[in-house]
Amino acid sequence: MASSIVLEATGLRKTFGQLQAVKDISIRIEQGETYGLLGPNGSGKTTTISMICGLLPADGGEVRIAGMPMTTTTLEPKKIVGLVPQDLAIYPDLTARENLTFFGRLYGIPSATLKSRVDEVLKVIGLLDRANDRSGTFSGGMKRRLNIGIGLIHGPSLLILDEPTVGVDPQSRNAILDSIERLAGAGIAVLYTTHYMEEAERLCDRVAIIDGGEIRAEGTQEELVRLVGENDRIRITGSGALATAAERLRTLPGIAGASAADDQLSVLTGDAGAVLSTVLQELTADGVAIASVSIEKPDLETVFLHVTGKALRD
Amino acid sequence: MLTALTIARKEVAQRLRDKSFLIVGILSPLVLAFIFNLVLGDIVRPDPSLTFDFGVVDEDGAELGGAFGQMLAAAEADGLVTVTRYDTEAAATAAVDADEVAAAFILPDGLSAAVLVMNQDATIRVVGNVDSSIGRAVAEAMAGRFAEIVRTASLSVQAALAAGAITPDQIGAAVAAATAAEPVLAAATVEVRSRQLASATFFVAGLGIFFIFFIVGLSVTSLLEERTHGTLARLLAAPIRPASIVAGKTLASIGLGVLAMAILAIASTILMGAEWGNPAIAALVILAAVIAAAGIMIFVGGLARTAEQAQNLQTVVGLTLAMLGGTFVPITTSEGFLASVRYVTPNAWYMRGLGDASGGAYGGAFQAIGILLLFGIVFGGVGLLLVRRVVKP
Ligand SMILES: Nc1ncnc2c1ncn2[C@@H]1O[C@H](COP(=O)(O)OP(=O)(O)OP(=O)(O)O)[C@@H](O)[C@H]1O
Ligand SMILES: [Mg+2]
Repeated sequence: MASSIVLEATGLRKTFGQLQAVKDISIRIEQGETYGLLGPNGSGKTTTISMICGLLPADGGEVRIAGMPMTTTTLEPKKIVGLVPQDLAIYPDLTARENLTFFGRLYGIPSATLKSRVDEVLKVIGLLDRANDRSGTFSGGMKRRLNIGIGLIHGPSLLILDEPTVGVDPQSRNAILDSIERLAGAGIAVLYTTHYMEEAERLCDRVAIIDGGEIRAEGTQEELVRLVGENDRIRITGSGALATAAERLRTLPGIAGASAADDQLSVLTGDAGAVLSTVLQELTADGVAIASVSIEKPDLETVFLHVTGKALRD
Repeated sequence: MLTALTIARKEVAQRLRDKSFLIVGILSPLVLAFIFNLVLGDIVRPDPSLTFDFGVVDEDGAELGGAFGQMLAAAEADGLVTVTRYDTEAAATAAVDADEVAAAFILPDGLSAAVLVMNQDATIRVVGNVDSSIGRAVAEAMAGRFAEIVRTASLSVQAALAAGAITPDQIGAAVAAATAAEPVLAAATVEVRSRQLASATFFVAGLGIFFIFFIVGLSVTSLLEERTHGTLARLLAAPIRPASIVAGKTLASIGLGVLAMAILAIASTILMGAEWGNPAIAALVILAAVIAAAGIMIFVGGLARTAEQAQNLQTVVGLTLAMLGGTFVPITTSEGFLASVRYVTPNAWYMRGLGDASGGAYGGAFQAIGILLLFGIVFGGVGLLLVRRVVKP
């Protein structure tokens, strides 16, 4: 059923000077589907989204919203897209209600229904009791919620959220994820970018792993995990030269990948039991002080490690 | 259009909320005008009861010298001036330097003969005291006015001569008679004071137009700010044309500019006794001046890449125009570099328009309005082209 396809982007490309920020990206999202773009900093998520929203002219490729071609100058498709930008985009001198009312007007919501629509959104983002306070006085999480609310005000068919939970405390983040789940349940299509694997796992029906401006793997979580094969992941916490240790481990037989970030070391292997003692010996030899060791079944982070050869969080 | 109004409304709400309008548009000009008026008011505006001390040297000793002397005597009788006669230019100059008189008129030898008999141009020189710019200006205006009267009178006398109504030896007496009928000082004072507002009005208007530049300048700086703060991307993602964003901001700026000026005019009338003349004409001058300022600031802001850059450029331009335009301190000289260069600024046209409006010279006021609108249209037009490149995420 072609009419249920809300977003169809094909062959998107964007170059900034010498840098190919987006190389041939295609995304298709159906009604009611939540689609995740999972990738590290600078992988091209925001650039892709900007082209989808008609903010940035694409160097190549095409975007269609509910069948309508989207460019920087088309107005019709913009009416059914809601954007929640990565950086807070609210007016701090205006109250939450004024922010929502202003954007509601821009999207052409008739004045007769505007007030009740604003109240509805205020309820969804949990800011009804702070509606008449200047948004500049809000906490970080409340600002984030208002940022999301503005993207929702006109009841879009496609909601695009660009890392909406960055810098938010766990409680607020939970509230945000809850409301996105509810919206998706209500039948709107969601395009969600993040570099938090847990968020993608929790929200998304389908996930694309993006790195270096390319989609490296795409599918449901099951499909993606199957890509990794039977690999287990050994996760080690410790201190010392983790990066050099990871490099050395990668050369050992039976090890599919290894990466270090902060105080963590991830090792991918077909059989954790068989290589564990070798790994620990190697680390001790490298002078790494080990605090904890765990063996985990594959998840999206493992998939990421598998397809890109590096950890999601740099 | 509806979208532009929605954006203008939001813009106004923001500016009223962040107090910039109140501080920049109303309080600063009003408080500064009040202080300026207290400190400088008397220097700027001669007290109407003030008399000027003038000296005169009549080296001519003929008809025109006599006529000029008679006029001075008439003004002296009215208590407007005191006149001291000197025998030589050196004595008069010494008196000026010694501050005994504000200015001295030198009627050169052969003045009457040159003008009346040989029909040539000649000059009455004015030696002025540097410390008494007003006195010097009044003296210059009196001399100029006298020359004008003599010119007119001699034209009609020449005509009478050609027609045979008088004989050549009656020329001098006829000119002198025609000249003596004209009150010189009254005319001269009007001349000096016309196109110049009373001091309270002058300072409020001058400081008002200066600060208005910053109120209207926000149309571009706020656009640049929205770009850095990400809200511009949000506006561009909405189903609206980029032109409506610029239109809305320009509309809001002009509206706030006019509102600030209107509040200033009313407040200064009540608090400081300022006089703005015909309210409708003054309102038109104000509207035209705000449009001129908006055009110039859009142009200047359009050259910048960041809000900070735009603000700096706008400050430099706003200050320069205020200085050149004589908006802070009234320029009384009718000649010289400053006097001629000031009319490249909208500030000077604005002050002149208001001066004419308050003095009842509506033709002059409408000329000023036309020129101000031209400023706005030309600079605003080019500025809007420049600003188009800003309206991108
Ligand atoms: N306007 C621009 N001019 C030049 N380079 C740009 C521009 N926008 C993005 N880039 C570059 O393109 C690449 C992709 O950037 P993008 O913002 O799309 O990444 P991202 O996946 O959203 O990263 P993050 O998770 O940090 O938000 C980066 O290398 C970035 O520096
Ligand atoms: Mg991004």
